[in-house]
Amino acid sequence: MTPSAVSLEAVTARFAGPGGTEYTAVEGVTLDVAEGAFVSLVGPSGCGKSTLLNMAAGLLAPSVGTVRIFGDPLRGINRRATCMFQQEALLPWKTVLDNVTLSLTFRKPRERKQSEELGRLWLKRVGLEEFADRFPYQLSGGMRKRVAMAQNWIAGPDILLMDEPFSALDIHTRLRMEGEILNLWAGSNKTVLFVTHDLEEAIALSDEVLVLSAGPAGRLVGRYPVDLPRPRNLIDIRAEPRFADLYRSIWTDLREEVLKSYERADYERRHAS
Amino acid sequence: MNAPKHSPWIWVGQAAIGASALGLWEWGARAGTLDKFFFSRPSDVAARVWQWVTSGSIWPHLGVTLLEALLAFTIGVFLGVLLGFLLARTPTAAVLLEPYIRMFNALPRVVLAPIFLLWFGLGIWSKVTLGVTVVFFIVFFNTYRGVKEVDPVIVNNARMLGASESQLIRHVLVPSALTWIFSSLHISIGFAMISVVVGEYLGSSKGVGYVISQAEGVFDTTGVFAGMTVLAAVVLMVGAAVERLERWLLRWKPESPIRAGERDL
Ligand SMILES: Nc1ncnc2c1ncn2[C@@H]1O[C@H](COP(=O)(O)OP(=O)(O)OP(=O)(O)O)[C@@H](O)[C@H]1O
Ligand SMILES: [Mg+2]
Repeated sequence: MTPSAVSLEAVTARFAGPGGTEYTAVEGVTLDVAEGAFVSLVGPSGCGKSTLLNMAAGLLAPSVGTVRIFGDPLRGINRRATCMFQQEALLPWKTVLDNVTLSLTFRKPRERKQSEELGRLWLKRVGLEEFADRFPYQLSGGMRKRVAMAQNWIAGPDILLMDEPFSALDIHTRLRMEGEILNLWAGSNKTVLFVTHDLEEAIALSDEVLVLSAGPAGRLVGRYPVDLPRPRNLIDIRAEPRFADLYRSIWTDLREEVLKSYERADYERRHAS
Repeated sequence: MNAPKHSPWIWVGQAAIGASALGLWEWGARAGTLDKFFFSRPSDVAARVWQWVTSGSIWPHLGVTLLEALLAFTIGVFLGVLLGFLLARTPTAAVLLEPYIRMFNALPRVVLAPIFLLWFGLGIWSKVTLGVTVVFFIVFFNTYRGVKEVDPVIVNNARMLGASESQLIRHVLVPSALTWIFSSLHISIGFAMISVVVGEYLGSSKGVGYVISQAEGVFDTTGVFAGMTVLAAVVLMVGAAVERLERWLLRWKPESPIRAGERDL
């Protein structure tokens, strides 16, 4: 059996909380992402989705447990992955084109000409070819996300970690980008670990949806294989009966976690005042 | 305050303030309200500056002062940026050195001037050293802070995209710290000039500081004011050049916070 592209083995993440306390963000999470699979991670806000992604990226070492990438224990940065962060991560002092070609600048600093050509090709793909010479502050939030996407894909990683990449986009751009992602991913044998808080998006895109419980000490509460056929039409798929079935069964679990996280927030608010 | 900066009326207003102050001074001196011996006269000062410039007698002095300031500035900036980066990237060293850096920074630099005179003699290096001790700390603290305040998400993203440590410094940390470094350059330029002039004033045979101290020695107030005028003009010109460079290097910013800050003064 070939090893999974990403596997977290009973990982726990603890952070220093206020006043010397310890905060356990996620506890004993075990998950596997098979090579070439598109897997989504959903869960209420603050349950530790970004934390898990950071561990897979090698940016955060688990307090307990092991991270394996293609079977090898991960130490330091995950060189086979890129990460599309939830926050802005473009370099404000580089133009759009220079931002898109950043990984090429790092890895092949001598081949500027080829890099630039490739960069323009990718800008065209995300519909921003006229903006090559702008600086990020001159773009809208959604445009910046598209630049970030091109920046990640151009690096050609085996694993793509994406942290709510489309939550800032309007519905049209979003559908377009989702379609673009699926096109890029299909037949590429790349592995995608996709974080979202939008269950519909998770089902429409993925092979499998993982549901995390509300924090603190978030755990994996369910794994749901999505057996919808590919290639998928992202607009029509939401109307299919099978989609609705899946949605209902996952939502029952997710709903409970969301309610728990509300209750906890309420409880904390009352006790804080 | 946003728009007025670009309005020509601001220039007119600024010029009017300067002109009326000078006019009042001139009038006071002519009318005898201000003692000409102590206060001189703007017209005399201008005539003296003009005479220095046309006869060429000021150039060697100005040349020496500028050379000293330039050396002090360059060495101070180089050391400040280098050490700022080094300490920001090696927290252990930063913790170990912190009390000493704070201690040296707390020292008034003027008291060091006589010691540097003893160590390095009356030539330019005693002045350069004095200037370096001033410039270094300003640049060092700003660089350190600038590197420390880099957005960690940006750093992580660059590392995920394959940046080596040196690439990280060149493409991420330096540009990010540049705003901070630049705000220190503005101040450092002025301080470099001031410290070398103080050094010259305390002991030298050349430089604008020497000219001022000579004039003072014979109660030539006109000469003192003329020296100050030359100094101020040079600092303003150098400052303008730095600002141009800064505007170009920070063109990726919607609005430089430094200039925005100055505007709000
Ligand atoms: N560096 C840190 N230091 C302390 N606590 C942290 C740190 N990073 C995350 N946490 C805590 O860990 C928990 C999980 O955070 P995380 O960012 O992983 O949530 P998330 O599931 O991505 O939420 P969202 O959907 O809102 O992005 C949160 O309660 C957060 O406060
Ligand atoms: Mg998150």
